[in-house]
Parts: sequence; C-alpha cells; structure tokens
Amino acid sequence: MEWKPDWGLRGRMAFTMFLLFALYIVFAGVLVAYFQSLTIMVLFMGVFLFAQFFFSDKIALYSMGARVVDEDDGPQAQKLHAMIGRLSQQADLPKPKVAISDSSMPNAFATGRSQKNSAVCVTTGLLRTLDDDELEGVLAHELAHVKNRDVMVMTIASFLSSIAFLIVRWGWLFGGDDNRQNMPVIVAIIASLLVWIISYLLIRALSRYREYSADRGAAIITGRPSALASALLKISGRMENVPKRDMRETSEMNAFFIIPIKSDFIGKLFSTHPSTEKRVERLRDMEREMETF
Amino acid sequence: MGLLDSLRSVLGISAESDATSRADPDDLFGMSTAYLTMEADLRFDSADEAALCFSSVDSTDFEDTVDAVEAILSAGSEETGTEFKRHTDGHGYNWVVLVDDDPEDLVTSIHFAADEFIERGYGSRLLAALFGFRKADDRVYWIYSFRRGAYYPFAPQGTSKRNQQLEFKLESVLDGELEIEDDEGYWYPLWPSTPNGHPWE
Repeated sequence: MEWKPDWGLRGRMAFTMFLLFALYIVFAGVLVAYFQSLTIMVLFMGVFLFAQFFFSDKIALYSMGARVVDEDDGPQAQKLHAMIGRLSQQADLPKPKVAISDSSMPNAFATGRSQKNSAVCVTTGLLRTLDDDELEGVLAHELAHVKNRDVMVMTIASFLSSIAFLIVRWGWLFGGDDNRQNMPVIVAIIASLLVWIISYLLIRALSRYREYSADRGAAIITGRPSALASALLKISGRMENVPKRDMRETSEMNAFFIIPIKSDFIGKLFSTHPSTEKRVERLRDMEREMETF
Repeated sequence: MGLLDSLRSVLGISAESDATSRADPDDLFGMSTAYLTMEADLRFDSADEAALCFSSVDSTDFEDTVDAVEAILSAGSEETGTEFKRHTDGHGYNWVVLVDDDPEDLVTSIHFAADEFIERGYGSRLLAALFGFRKADDRVYWIYSFRRGAYYPFAPQGTSKRNQQLEFKLESVLDGELEIEDDEGYWYPLWPSTPNGHPWE
C-alpha cells in the first residue's frame, strides 16, 4: 500500500540542516579570517572524527557491555536473528550483527557507519518487557536508523560543533603574550561559543526529527504502527500508569491524583528524543491512515 | 548508491521508501527450467512443495487481499491439482504453501498468488518465494527475493547452521540460468523450526 509522505517532517528536517550548514559556513569564514593556528586543531579533530566514524560501532557496543551473538547462542539469540533477518529483508538491508546487552533497562540501539557493518543491540530488559510484536516494532525502528544512515548524518552534523566546543574550551592556549595578538583568539572563542550553542540546539532538533522518521520507517516495515506505539508506551513505563482497577473503586481517590508535570519549552529544546506522547500520536495517525485509505 | 539514494538517507526517508518499493516478480519464472538442471546436474529432486512468505499489514483491506489470493489458488487447484494451505509461523509471518509433484505448476501458482498481492498494492509485503529440493538427507531451497528480484540458495543444516559449501555449489551451477543475488549480505536465512522441517512448517 502507499503511505502518505510526511512533508512537514521532511521540510523541517531539511530546514534544520540548512540552518546548520549555513551556520558552519559562517563559522569557517570567521575562523579563517581571525584564527591562524587552527591547522593543528582541525587535524586533531579530523583524527577524532575518523576514529569516531570508523570505530563507532565497537565503541557503542563496548560502552553498553554488549556481546555480539550468533544464531545458535540460545533461543533468545535465535529469535532475534530470525526477526532481524526478516525485517532487514523487508527493509532491503543486509542483515546487521545482533548484540545483546545485560541490562534491566528496556532499551535498544543501532550503530555502524554504513549499512554493511551495522549492529543492532537490545538489552535483556527489553526482551523481558516486550512481547514479540512490540519487539519487532522496536527492531524495525533501529533498522530504519541504519537505513537512513543516522550515525553518519549525526556524526557529520556534530563535527564542527565539536570543533567549536574544543575552541571554547582550549582556544585561550593559542593566545600570545601580546594584547594585539590576543584579539583574534578572543573573537574566535566568542564566535565558537555562539556556534556551539546554536549548533547544539539545531543538532538536537535534527535528532528528534530523525526519531520521527525512524518511527515512520518502522511502522511501514512491520505494517503495524500500533505495535511500535505500544512498545514505546511500555518502554516509557506509561503502560504501568494505565489504571487496572475499576473506576468505581477508585473514584473517591480522584481528587488526589496528580497531573503529570509537562516539560517546559526549554526542556523540549534540549531533548534528543521527541516525547512518547507525540511519537505515539503520529503512529496512531498512521494506523488510522492504513485502515481508511 | 546514487545521488537520489544519498538524498533520501540524508532526509531520513530511505527506510520508508525502500520498505514500500515495488515487488519485482520478473525473474520468478527462471525456476521452471532450474528444476531440470537441479535434477540432471546435481541429482536434487523437487521436494514437491513451494511456499510464498509475506508479512502482514494490520488492516482490513489486507485481510481481504489474502482472502482473494486464497480464492485464486483454490480455483487454480481444480485445474492443476495443486493443493495449498495457509499457515502462520512462529515468528508471525504468513505462508501460502503449495503441494504438487509437477514443478511447473508450483512456479505458476506462486506467480498467480504473487500477482494478486502486487495488483492490490501489497507487493511490498511479499518477502520471498521458496522452492524446495531434496537429495538423500540434504534439503536445499532456492529463495526468490521479491525486493531484490533475484534468487539465492539456502541449505539449512538443523535449525541454525547453513551448509555454505553446498550453497556455493548451487550458486555456481545455476548461475546464468537464474538471476542470482550477487551480494551475499542479502542471502537471508529462513530457518526451519525443526531440524528436518521446511522453513514454513
């Protein structure tokens, strides 16, 4: 079936990238104009980016204490391999490596700079929390990240932001004794600070848009938006909040219920993931679209 | 990777567009002569069974489509004697399993079923068509990927190991006769749940 593309989302993503790109061009111009001893730093950052780019999968797996599992590493590994194999087939992806991390927090992530050497990792907590349909939704979400090359996009997007941060942090080292020589360094530090702050916000917005994209991708890969929605609700612990007791029994308690504190505008600006409510809302729209197209 | 593909991944829509890309059934018919080569050159007989694997969509319209596919297959079975059954496996995927001792009829019926999915706009849900072969204790399959429009061999040993030597042998013998997937990263296994079972059982 045909899905209605989310042009709003695409537009916002393109606009954010454009702003980020424009910001970086201005930044590069400022640096070239005012800052002479930049070469070493850029070289250093280049090595850093290179390492981050090429070892990102290993670093991420190592930091999560994840182990890569084979098909015959027990029933859980076999189930994951079977699911990921079929989902990759549906997504037209080579099958990524499969890893399990011993952690009770229900979570999953995908790594790898390219589609060829990617890995999908899930925690044992996730395997315990979700049923098969929901697990499939989460795995498809991670595969959509791989398909959309999110590691690459975010690494590149963060590159100059990291340089800016480094200049803010260590730029004073490049200043000379002479006051006249110090001027360019101070300008560069101030410019870097601005670039760092703005790019930080833009990168976070971009990251949120890419989560929405991966959600859409996952819903389309599995053909079941509701499965991912219920997985998200479960992971965020909201499922636990749905009352299981009869309303008549609890009605006298209503006055004491606390309205959940909504995060304010600033909080939203800094978060890498959209709120579960919004993600679920969009998945519901897709479910509706599927049933009534 | 073309420019358009790069643009799609940068905009974060590759996953969407590739998961809905059209099914490519064009090279499916290569199997009707491949059966002969399998028997003459490699002494593999038809397992007399073939199957179509598809992932479902959580919608009423999709359920109607599956009913229509069943109707077509039961109409066909009166003519060719091809028996069919529907089946959902342990991973929640759906299968249409066809039984016939004439390989030609198996290929035709798979094609009819796939066509109905494609015509109703669900071609992107077709995962694979499997054609089974056997020789003594060995079971091998030719799997047709509708996403890639190509075949690849699959020789399971037990429930989680594949006989790669045999797979490469099948590949080298049938290369040229079948459109074969040349990137082995796309040779997805479809494990049987019992050591001597078919993947769809």
